[in-house]
Amino acid sequence: MQSLSRHFTLMSTVQFLIGGILLSIKGCFVKKKKMIISQETMDVDFVRKVEALSGTSVRRCFQCGKCSAGCPMATFMEHPPNRVVRLLQLGQWQRILAGRSIWYCASCETCTTRCPNKVDLTSIMDALRKLSWDAEGASKESYVQLANKLFLQNIRTYGRQYEMRLAAVFNVKSGQFLKDLMLGPKLISKGKLKMFQSKNKNLSEIEKIFTRIEEMRRKGEAL
Amino acid sequence: MKEKLNYSYYPGCSLHASAGEYDLSTRELFKKLKIGLTEVPDWFCCGATPAHNVDELLSLSLCAKNLELADKVEGDLAVACAACFSRLKTTQNVLSESEVKRKQVEKAIDAPVILDSHVKHLLEILARDLGPERLAQSVNKPLSGLKVACYYGCLLTRPTDVPNLDCVEAPTIMEDVLKAVGAETVAWTHRMECCGANFTLSRPGVVIQLTNAILDSAKAAGADCVMVACPLCHGNLDIRQKEIEGVYSVNYNLPVFYLTQLVGLAVGLGPDKLGLAAMMVNPLPLLKEKGLL
Repeated sequence: MQSLSRHFTLMSTVQFLIGGILLSIKGCFVKKKKMIISQETMDVDFVRKVEALSGTSVRRCFQCGKCSAGCPMATFMEHPPNRVVRLLQLGQWQRILAGRSIWYCASCETCTTRCPNKVDLTSIMDALRKLSWDAEGASKESYVQLANKLFLQNIRTYGRQYEMRLAAVFNVKSGQFLKDLMLGPKLISKGKLKMFQSKNKNLSEIEKIFTRIEEMRRKGEAL
Repeated sequence: MKEKLNYSYYPGCSLHASAGEYDLSTRELFKKLKIGLTEVPDWFCCGATPAHNVDELLSLSLCAKNLELADKVEGDLAVACAACFSRLKTTQNVLSESEVKRKQVEKAIDAPVILDSHVKHLLEILARDLGPERLAQSVNKPLSGLKVACYYGCLLTRPTDVPNLDCVEAPTIMEDVLKAVGAETVAWTHRMECCGANFTLSRPGVVIQLTNAILDSAKAAGADCVMVACPLCHGNLDIRQKEIEGVYSVNYNLPVFYLTQLVGLAVGLGPDKLGLAAMMVNPLPLLKEKGLL
């Protein structure tokens, strides 16, 4: 089993390397777009929306970089947290939403905890993810978004999280049929994956909450 | 002697599935310590990270609904999962500050929002409500010689702007509990680093990288085992440990205990009542070696 998992890792490393080489070859031919800061390129309205949703002002940030220093996910992001705020200050939100940074945020709240000037970056990330639904050119960091979507669907249908179903449907929908396949039987033998789970008696109430929120949103009364 | 402690109990989804041993050991431990625990009937999922990631109103509404359900049961609300705990606390905080959001949530759940109830993590109940002295009195098998790395993870002491269970950057509440039951704790670097949490589904590679650093740091500090108080931390450190060992060609063999399992062991509960058999990294050799079984 171990050798098999090492084999998969080796394969993904090779894939990663090939991908990297291809990207760098592409980089030689495609000219990098320069960032031009002017009144035309600054979209302040969008930034105001982010500020209203998150209840925090991006102008408070003085770029000390403490958020990025503590961020466990910063290595996976093309724009680390402090740069996300900087881009917002400059009205360049398209650059953030086109990338994967917001989808690699784990919501661990380290940034908000450590910010010396009370910038609530966790809420800014939430606001950006929410606004990316309708924003043009927003990245579909598909795996994370798919997982989120299935998670919420589970709540609506069952009232609670149904881990077995969540993992199975995720693997099918993301086309990764073999993902964590080796873990499955072990988890079942340890009683960690339940085949059947009791449904809530008050399931209709959760459906009502979802419907009411949808209706409020249609009428423009919701957050 | 103080009056009998009584709580309503919100286990959260994981405790009814992959973290069954946390649920079992919590119930058994509280029974042994004579603390009342009544599960909130028909509770819902709190929405965890995915809900607030995409829809704040939904997240707040789900938590407000659960607070309403819990209010019907007597006692403060005891929460086992760090993520549920953080979400419920955040909801109370956000809704008490913003009247606009409160009105929207009240409309969505069609009921008034309960803001004055006390939400407490199990750690808080053991360390504060019961207290180290009374906990120490119930110990009949001290965990002497067991070196434990206390892993707080990220959400246990957050959010920061509400009165919380301990200091956000340097908490000692886990160590306090463990010292009361006679265990040794180690000083280590990654006690509050994020494990990647729910990326275990969508981006397992990320989780493996982050958890490897955590296990590596615990091992380097000389720990025999790790203690957690969150089912997601447990899932990432315990279930994925074999895989991590394979990927990085290392050998950690660090059993990952839930808080209630270690305290339960000290008050004399047997392995079957603590669900030790459900752990992926077998803890029995370690416990036998230390003479704790």
